[in-house]
Amino acid sequence: MQTAEVLRLAQPRWKSFAPGLLFGVLRAAAAVGLLATSAWLITRAADEPPILFLSAAIVGVRAAALGRASFRYLERLASHDAAFRGLADLRVGIYERLVPLAPDGLRGTRRADLLARLVGDVDELQNLPLRVVQPLLVSLVVCVAAVVGTCILLPAAGIALAVTLTLAFALGTLVNLRLAGRAEADLSPLRADVADRALDVVANLDVLVAYGAVDARLAGLREADARLTDAALGKASGAGAVAAVVSLLAGAATLIALLVGVPALGVPPTGAAAVAAAAAGAGSGTLAGGITGPVLAMLALVPIAVFEVFGMVPLAVGAWRQVRVSAARVADAVPAVAPPEIPVDGTTGAQPWGTPHLGAPLVELRNVSVRWPGAAAPAIEGVSLSIRPGDRVLVTGASGAGKTTLAHALVRFLEVDGGYTINGIDVRTLPQADVRSIVGLCEQQPYLFDENLRQNLLFADDTATDDDLLDVLDRVGLLDWALERGGLSAPLGEHGALVSGGQAQRIALARVLLADFAVVVFDEPTANVDPERADLLLAELLAAAGPERSVVLISHAAVQPALVTQTLRLP
Amino acid sequence: MKPVDRRLLRYAGAARAFFAVGAVLALGQVACIVAFAWLVNSVVVRAIGGAGLGELLPSLAALAGVVLARSALAWLTEVNAARGAAIVKSQLRREVLAALPWLGPSWLATRNSVAITTVITSGLDALDTYFAKYLPQLILTVVVMPVLVVVLFLADWQSGLTVLLTLPLIPVFMVLIGRATEKAQADQWQQLSRLATGFLDVVEGLSTLKVFGREKRQAARIRSVTDEYRSTTMKVLRLSFLSGFALELAASLSVALVAVSIGLRLVDGSLALGVGLFVLMLAPEAFLPLRQVGAQFHAAADGVAATDDVFEILDAVPSAGPAAPAVAAESAAGPAAGVTVVLDAVTVRHGDDVAVDAFCGVFPGGALTVVSGPSGAGKSSLVAAMLGFVPFSGAITTSSRNAAGVTAPGGAEVAAGAAKVATGASGLATGPTGASGAATAVATGAERRLSLDDIAWAGQRPGLLAATIADNITLGTAAPAPALVERAMRLAAADDLDPATLLGVNGWGLSGGQAQRVAVARAFYRALERHCPVVVLDEPSSALDAATEGRLIAGLRELAAAGTTVVVVSHRPAVVAAAGHRVTLARPLSSASQPAAAAEPAAAGDQAAVTRGSVAAREPVATREPAATREPVVPREPAATREPVAPREPVTTAEPVAADREAVR
Repeated sequence: MQTAEVLRLAQPRWKSFAPGLLFGVLRAAAAVGLLATSAWLITRAADEPPILFLSAAIVGVRAAALGRASFRYLERLASHDAAFRGLADLRVGIYERLVPLAPDGLRGTRRADLLARLVGDVDELQNLPLRVVQPLLVSLVVCVAAVVGTCILLPAAGIALAVTLTLAFALGTLVNLRLAGRAEADLSPLRADVADRALDVVANLDVLVAYGAVDARLAGLREADARLTDAALGKASGAGAVAAVVSLLAGAATLIALLVGVPALGVPPTGAAAVAAAAAGAGSGTLAGGITGPVLAMLALVPIAVFEVFGMVPLAVGAWRQVRVSAARVADAVPAVAPPEIPVDGTTGAQPWGTPHLGAPLVELRNVSVRWPGAAAPAIEGVSLSIRPGDRVLVTGASGAGKTTLAHALVRFLEVDGGYTINGIDVRTLPQADVRSIVGLCEQQPYLFDENLRQNLLFADDTATDDDLLDVLDRVGLLDWALERGGLSAPLGEHGALVSGGQAQRIALARVLLADFAVVVFDEPTANVDPERADLLLAELLAAAGPERSVVLISHAAVQPALVTQTLRLP
Repeated sequence: MKPVDRRLLRYAGAARAFFAVGAVLALGQVACIVAFAWLVNSVVVRAIGGAGLGELLPSLAALAGVVLARSALAWLTEVNAARGAAIVKSQLRREVLAALPWLGPSWLATRNSVAITTVITSGLDALDTYFAKYLPQLILTVVVMPVLVVVLFLADWQSGLTVLLTLPLIPVFMVLIGRATEKAQADQWQQLSRLATGFLDVVEGLSTLKVFGREKRQAARIRSVTDEYRSTTMKVLRLSFLSGFALELAASLSVALVAVSIGLRLVDGSLALGVGLFVLMLAPEAFLPLRQVGAQFHAAADGVAATDDVFEILDAVPSAGPAAPAVAAESAAGPAAGVTVVLDAVTVRHGDDVAVDAFCGVFPGGALTVVSGPSGAGKSSLVAAMLGFVPFSGAITTSSRNAAGVTAPGGAEVAAGAAKVATGASGLATGPTGASGAATAVATGAERRLSLDDIAWAGQRPGLLAATIADNITLGTAAPAPALVERAMRLAAADDLDPATLLGVNGWGLSGGQAQRVAVARAFYRALERHCPVVVLDEPSSALDAATEGRLIAGLRELAAAGTTVVVVSHRPAVVAAAGHRVTLARPLSSASQPAAAAEPAAAGDQAAVTRGSVAAREPVATREPAATREPVVPREPAATREPVAPREPVTTAEPVAADREAVR
């Protein structure tokens, strides 16, 4: 995916985004209005006019005060609601792009924690509307409105405000991004060096103590830390530059307003004429001879309030840097076009079920090669295998020999180069779901959802009754355990935290039995089990699979010869 | 959450300098605020009074000066923050690292090393925003608010009183609303945390869902879970945003009250315009830092969380720890041959569990001793006790006589006493210092306490460093001897590797079996170079194929034949068969709660399951291939331990926190 596409997905629809934006603009306008009307009120009151002339301003001040707080509250509620609504669309949008690619077509997500990071990045994207777009738009709208309002009162002051704000926007966004980006580019290799060395020491402290090498390693780490700290101190002076210049511009806006406002000030009116003139002036803000005193006060104070609203911009830029990194990572993990190594659904409508073509094995691989996306060379080459009902096939070989690759090819997570037929039908002509209704996989680390036992079984066959589930638990030797835990409603915990590795395998087996695959591939079922109990578990798994079902057993460890009918050794 | 953790000042001296400079800068800033308000006010008032631009120029020039000074102070504040953050991070990092040897491997073993590394690297980076955004505002709040309130009082006591009365309302309301929110959040917490991880659960289980053809239905589930999450969170947010509402309302209403009251008093002529405008400009400034502190709540929370993790480690170091983890004296001229290790009633406890229960045994000198036993029998704990990595009771001594099982009573007593001293200091003194100190005290007799200097050890985990293979093998030696490296590698069946190969973090670049052999070679090198009388290896061949294992066994025998006491923990039949002396550990009976008792019934159940389904047993196929000829490499991905160091927080908490962060804004 392109980063821009990810960002587009992350931005909620206008319909839900608009209320928050509107409240935000009203809130910021109320903040500026509070100071402006207050300034006008006080300066005007100094002329000691009849109170009647001030009542509108008094109401205005109070309304602005209430408005600033209330609109802020409403803005936050509306914008959060919109962000969450957007999150639902975003998650579904990303998920739908993940589905055809998963698990092997996703770049850099082969490990669970990286997948978690991908999900974290997706969720981080909800900050795009909330902390980037909304504050930027709000401050832009209010700043433009303030410039327009000031222009009406005194064009020169308006232009001064426009120039200072434009400069501040440029500094606060573009320059700020560049400076931060450069500092990051300079510091990150040093930071990585410290992290690497620290991990080296922390992870291997036992070795370092045993070999008396702690001090030498710590000294090296201190040097790396000193390099990082020196570089960070060097960047410190740049850190405040943008803030300083923005503060300078804010002051300059007030100063220029006074410089152009004071000469524009009309002759101070006196007596009854003043009252009439001021009443007229309240509307237009100008006298025949120039602006009134209250307008001068407004011109001087409005820039202060406007620059306070502008304060959201640098924060939004900071949030944008994080959002952009997340978006880029999401875009990177989800390729725009499925790589050729990831299978696509066949569409011939052939029926792989039922009676096989005469003499054809249930599953047959002929001279098959399989390659991972992005890999230069195939992970397995020239593999041939023929599986008939009831077969027990042991696939063995060193780590990296392609055992898991073969498993993924069998369930069509990876495309095969060569012949792969099920009941004599080429799998490439079949929808993947059809293939996976025949060939099932028990993964090395079976994934257990953070639900109860029932839910973790039901999704393999949602027509199963509780009795069916208990029956299958009995077949995999988990019935007593499950009953002890409180039956099918027993929670399994996040990532199956509440069950052991062997129990997880048995639950996975129960699922496979429920789904009633004709061929089941077990990928290292004993990898997370105590070695002494591995043999027993293996024997039980194979026994519970039943005599009709075919089993492909992937194992790097030796397996009792009695348990298998054929062995495929990957070089 | 406390505004600032006192431990920050205690552990990071640089933080004190930061606060001192920050306070001075804040005073400068408050002076600028007052001067700016006064000058703007006086220019406006005098202009209205009829003064021309020429007369006002000095004031305007002064105003320009104030603006410049304010800008410079803003710059210095940020520089101070950036410097403070960099120096404090470095200080904390160094202190944690210096603390690690004190805490020792046994402390680390109970923790995730990646998590600790994250704490002292990217975790500490949360201090950047903490220092840059939150603390300066906190200082400003403390400095600016009182000063401005006093100035307001002096200018117009009625306005001063208004502000003074409204200010305390803010914390009161925020606390009240915070309490209410906390309760609402606690009520929803379980649901929230489940909903927050719902999406992750689906994505992580995607391949499983595909296997079972259930992937298509999940989009609807994601939508409903996220929607449910939204409505639940919004319920909490409606409450928690109220605190921000109270803050804003108090601030803006107090400005409005001040403005209207000034306006009315101006109308009846009881107040001068100069005072009124001045007060109007200052009133919002009194609230501004407090509002900013609220807005930086999440920076504060992150910073506090980051330092909390660091202080947790630093607080774990007892203040009365040993002076320095001095490297024990070289024992290069130590006894080369025939040292027997005697273990007398060695008991190791992990909390309440007994890992090794009063083990007595002898590892004879010049022989290959293989220690075996079921998992949970305490094999690795026994090794850790020999290394002094865990506290233990009993005695582990060396004897240069061939005293198989017979120990002189006196020696045993002294040694046991030494062990007691060592374990007394909460496990710390069992490190190098304690061990070698005890050794010198007892070394007068033929028996002396086994010291870390006597042992060349390779653990279950290879524990290789980011360096060349040769550097790894010669770890801890000042002057590497290439010939010995070659010999050690040959003995460890690692001579197929190039010693000049550069490894990444955690030995990245080698397969599991290769890494294991390099680790064994490292132990052999130490034994050869420093004449360590005892070599201890924990499962050295678990990732090796039969042929390589055979060569390693030959190496072990060669070493033993040269007089070294070789102790190997292994369950591999070939290693057990090669043993000159065998020791079998049983699971300690006293740990009744744990593995031993639990294992029996479970095994029985398993047995039953087999008999039930044993129909499926088939005869072996004749054409089965011979046993593995290559190393079945244990899968290891170095990236696994590296990756999480880089970026950010666990996703599971990301959302509730995000909601929470908004709470005070």
